[in-house]
Amino acid sequence: MDEEKTLSELAAETGIPARTIRFYISRGLLDGPSKAGRGAVYTHAHRERLEKIKALQAEGRHLSEIAPLMDCGDGERPSYPSAPWWQHTIADDVLVFTRGDISPWRQKQIRDAIDEMALRLRRKE
Amino acid sequence: MTAAACFAPIVVETGQAIELAMQRLWLTGRILPAGARLTVQHVFRSAETKPIEVIYSFPLPRDAALRRFRITGDGFEAHSEWKETEEAVKAYEEGVARGSLAALARQYGDGVENLTVGNIQPGEQIAVYLELIAGVELRDAGFRFRFPFTLAPAYHARARMAVVDREGEMELPADEFGDVILPRFREDPSALHQVGFELSVESGLEIDELGSPSHAVRVKRHGSEASRVTLAAEKDIPNRDLVLDAHYRETRPQVLAGFPKDGKGRFAAILPSTSFGAKTESPRRVVILLDRSGSMQGAPIAQAAKAIEACLAALAETDFFGLVAFDDRIEMCDTHLLPGTRHNRDRAHRFLETIRARGGTELAAGFQKAVELLERGGGDVLILTDGQVAGTERILADARKTNTRLHCLGIGSASQDRFLALLARETGGVSRFVTPSERVDLPAVDLFAPIGRPLAAGLKVTGNVQPEPPAAVFGGAPVLLFGEIGEGEKVEVSWDGGGALSLPVAFSGSETGETVWLLQGARLITDWESRYPSEEVLAPVEKRRQSRVAARLRDLSRQYGLASREVSLVAVVERKGDRAGQLPETRVVPTGMAQDTRFGAYFPRPGMPLAYALSAAGQDPSTRMLNRRLAMAPNPAALPISTGAPRPPEPGEFTRMFGSAAPPVHPRHRATIAPPPSQADAPGAPPFFQSLLRRKRGHAASAQTESPEDALLALASAMDSDGGMPGRNEKDRALASVLALLAFVSHGHTPSSGAFRSHVARLVAFLESLSGLDASKRLLAEKAIEAARQGQAPPGDWLRLAQAGGDQWLALGKALAE
Repeated sequence: MDEEKTLSELAAETGIPARTIRFYISRGLLDGPSKAGRGAVYTHAHRERLEKIKALQAEGRHLSEIAPLMDCGDGERPSYPSAPWWQHTIADDVLVFTRGDISPWRQKQIRDAIDEMALRLRRKE
Repeated sequence: MTAAACFAPIVVETGQAIELAMQRLWLTGRILPAGARLTVQHVFRSAETKPIEVIYSFPLPRDAALRRFRITGDGFEAHSEWKETEEAVKAYEEGVARGSLAALARQYGDGVENLTVGNIQPGEQIAVYLELIAGVELRDAGFRFRFPFTLAPAYHARARMAVVDREGEMELPADEFGDVILPRFREDPSALHQVGFELSVESGLEIDELGSPSHAVRVKRHGSEASRVTLAAEKDIPNRDLVLDAHYRETRPQVLAGFPKDGKGRFAAILPSTSFGAKTESPRRVVILLDRSGSMQGAPIAQAAKAIEACLAALAETDFFGLVAFDDRIEMCDTHLLPGTRHNRDRAHRFLETIRARGGTELAAGFQKAVELLERGGGDVLILTDGQVAGTERILADARKTNTRLHCLGIGSASQDRFLALLARETGGVSRFVTPSERVDLPAVDLFAPIGRPLAAGLKVTGNVQPEPPAAVFGGAPVLLFGEIGEGEKVEVSWDGGGALSLPVAFSGSETGETVWLLQGARLITDWESRYPSEEVLAPVEKRRQSRVAARLRDLSRQYGLASREVSLVAVVERKGDRAGQLPETRVVPTGMAQDTRFGAYFPRPGMPLAYALSAAGQDPSTRMLNRRLAMAPNPAALPISTGAPRPPEPGEFTRMFGSAAPPVHPRHRATIAPPPSQADAPGAPPFFQSLLRRKRGHAASAQTESPEDALLALASAMDSDGGMPGRNEKDRALASVLALLAFVSHGHTPSSGAFRSHVARLVAFLESLSGLDASKRLLAEKAIEAARQGQAPPGDWLRLAQAGGDQWLALGKALAE
C-alpha cells in the first residue's frame, strides 16, 4: 500500500512548493488528494508525477505541453498538432524544419547549428 | 452575448465565459516630489462553486517596497504581519490547510510580487488594501510618477511560452525564479478587471503643469502646491502604466522634513543639477547601445535610430563614439571607437539603416560588448531599450563588474522602470523612461547631452545620509538625499573643486517625516535587492538566504517595517464554517498585454510562428543570415508554415500577420533590388538639406507627419562635426548656422537648457570661431548668439527659414534689425 503524505510533506519531499502543487492540480496535471477534507492525502503516485513534471520542465517544456504527455504513459509521445513550424531551405536539396514555439535559447542553438550546416554545405560546393 | 463572452476565455466543456476572480484595482495615495505613499485596493469575488485560491502578479514601481495590507470581507477585517519569507509561506500554507482565508504578499526577483489569497468561498467578496512606498523619476523641472497597472512579458533565454485558452502564459525556470507565477496575458484586455486612481500631488514648489501622457485625467487644484488627480473616465483597463508628470514653475532645491514617531528629524533633499554649475566641455567617449529586440518593433526602433543620429551630431571631432545593436546577437558599426567626424557619422547612418527589430533581449551581452569597445580609456554607455528582460539581478551584477557608467533610456507602456533606474544608478549613470505615446528621440537627445560630462563629483553631505550621494552629477538629473537632521540645522553639501550648498530645513508634520523615513527605507531596500552577487542570484533559495545581502535586507525590513525579497506579508483569517483540508482551485488573474507590445512578439500561435514574431521585418534572423550566405542557391526560400505539409505563404498572408502591406523581400530578389529613388534628388532643395532629406526618407518613421520637433531633429542630425551647418563656403555655412540657431532658440532650446542644448552650444561656438565674415554678417551672427544666450529669438518663422535654405542674408538682416 502507498505511503500517505500530507500536502506539506509532499512539498518537502519533492522540493515543489504546496502552492505550485495546488496549481498543477487545478491545471489537470496532477490528480487531487485521494481523500477529501481533513484527511486529504497524497501518495507515491503523486510524487512520481511531480518528478516527471520537473524533468519535462527541465527539457524546456511548458505546462500546456506537459499535460498531454502526462496522459500518454511512458514511451508514448504524442504528436504536436498545433505547433507552428519553420522551414529553412538550406540548398535546393536540403530542407530543415524546426518548431517555432520552443524556448529562445533552444531556438538560438538550433539557428546556430543550421548556420553551421549551411556553411559546411556551401564550402563543399 | 456580452463583450466578456465574446472576447474572454471560455470553459471548453461548458462554453461559459470564465468568471474573473479579481474585479477591481484602485490606486489612491499621496505623491510628493521625493516619492509616493500609495494604497492599492484589490477586490476579489468568487462566482465559482468551489473555494478558490487567487494569484495576482504585479511589478513593483521604482524604489518601491510593500509596507502592509489589510484584508476585509463580510464581517471581518484583518491586518498583515511581516515575517521572514519562509515563515510567512508556512503561516499561509497552514492557514489554507485549516480552511481559513489566508493572504500572502511575496516578492520575487525582478521586483515581481505575487499576492495570493487562498480559500475565497463561493460567492464571497474580499478586498485587500495594500500599502506601498514608491519612488518617482526626478527631473530638474519636475518629476514623473509611474505606476504599473500591468506586467509586460519579458525575455529570458530559458522562459517557456504558450497560448492557453487564448491567453499567453509565460513560465520562468524554478531554479532561478522560485515558485513565482506570472499573470496570464490577454491580447484583448477589454473584459478584464477595472483599474482607476485618485491621487493627491503635493510639492514645496509651485506646480505649473500636471498631466498624464498615459491616461485621460481630471486635475483639481488645491492652492498652488497641491492637486487632486483622478481618472477622467469611470474606469480603465490594465494594459499600461499610469504616468503623471508634474512641472514646477521654477527650478530650485527643495527639502521635505518632519519628525516621525521615533522623534528623530528626517529629511529628503532634492537638488536640481543646475545647483552644481555649468558643464565642462571635455572630450567624450560614448558607446550607444541600441536594443533591436523584437519587442522594440515599430515606432520605438525607428525613433531611436533617428535619435542616435541627432545624438552623434552633438559630438565634436575630438569626441569618440561606438555604436552597438543587440538582440540575441550583437552587431557593431565598427570594432573600435570612432572619432565624431562627418565621415564616421555617415558610417553610423548606413549601419542604422540596416537595423530592424528582431530576436530576444540579451542585454548583458550587449553592454559587455559596449564596455569592450571603451577598452581601458573608460567612458559612458547610453542604452536605448524597452528593458523587457527577466533575471535582472544577474544583469545588474554583471553591470556593476564592468565599472562603467550606464545611462538608460527606457521605452514602453508597461514599466521596467525599476530595473532601468537601478541599472543606471548602480553604475553611476542616469535614466529616463518614456511611454510609446511620447517621442523617443527628443528624450534620447536630452539624455545624451550631459553624458560623459559630469557637473560635479565627490559629493559630501554632513550628517547621517543614506544611501550615499551619487558619485557624479549630470545635467538634467537632480540629486536626491535622505538623512537625519536636527531642528535648526541645515543640509550642507559640498563637492570636488570647492562647490558648496547650504539648504535651510523647514519641518512639516509627523506624516511628512514618516513618509520621508519610509521612502528612505524603500530606496535602501531596492538598492540592496539589486546587489546579490551574481553567484548568489542563481543559488538555491536556502543558500541565498544565508548571504550577506539577505541579512542586510532582513535588517532593513525590520528597521523600516517594510517588506523585501527576504521578508513577506501574511494574514490569516478564521471564519465560521471554515473546513480544514479543502483544496482550493487555483486561479491566476489575467492582465492585458502592454499596449505597445504585440501579443505575437512573445506568444506563438498556430499560423504565427514565434520565429516570425521575434523578427520585426518578418524574417527569421537565421533565415536572413542564411540568405546572405546562400544568395546563389537556386531556391533560397525560408517560409513560415503551420503544421502539416510545407506550403508557401498565400497572397496577403504577410499583411494579415503584420498589419503591413509590404511583405518581406524575397531573399533571392534582395540582392538585385535597387535602393528607392531618393527624394534628395529633388531639384530646388539646398545642398545640405538634400542630404538631410536623404537621411530622413531612409527610416520608417519618416512616414509620420513632420512636426517642429522632427524638423529640429533633422537640423541637429545635419550638423557638421565642427558644430556648424553644412554649406558650400563659409558664408553659406554661417547663414545656415545662424538660421538653425534661431530655429532652436525659437523653440525653447538654449546653450544650457532644452533637449538640443548641446547642439545650440556647438552652433554658438562655431559661429564665434568664424573669422572670414564681413562686418555686417559678423554683426548678424553676434545678434543670433546673443539671442541664444538670452533664450529669446526675435519674432519670425526661423524653422521654416532654416529648412528653406538659399541666400537669405537680406531677410535675416531685416528680421534681426526689427
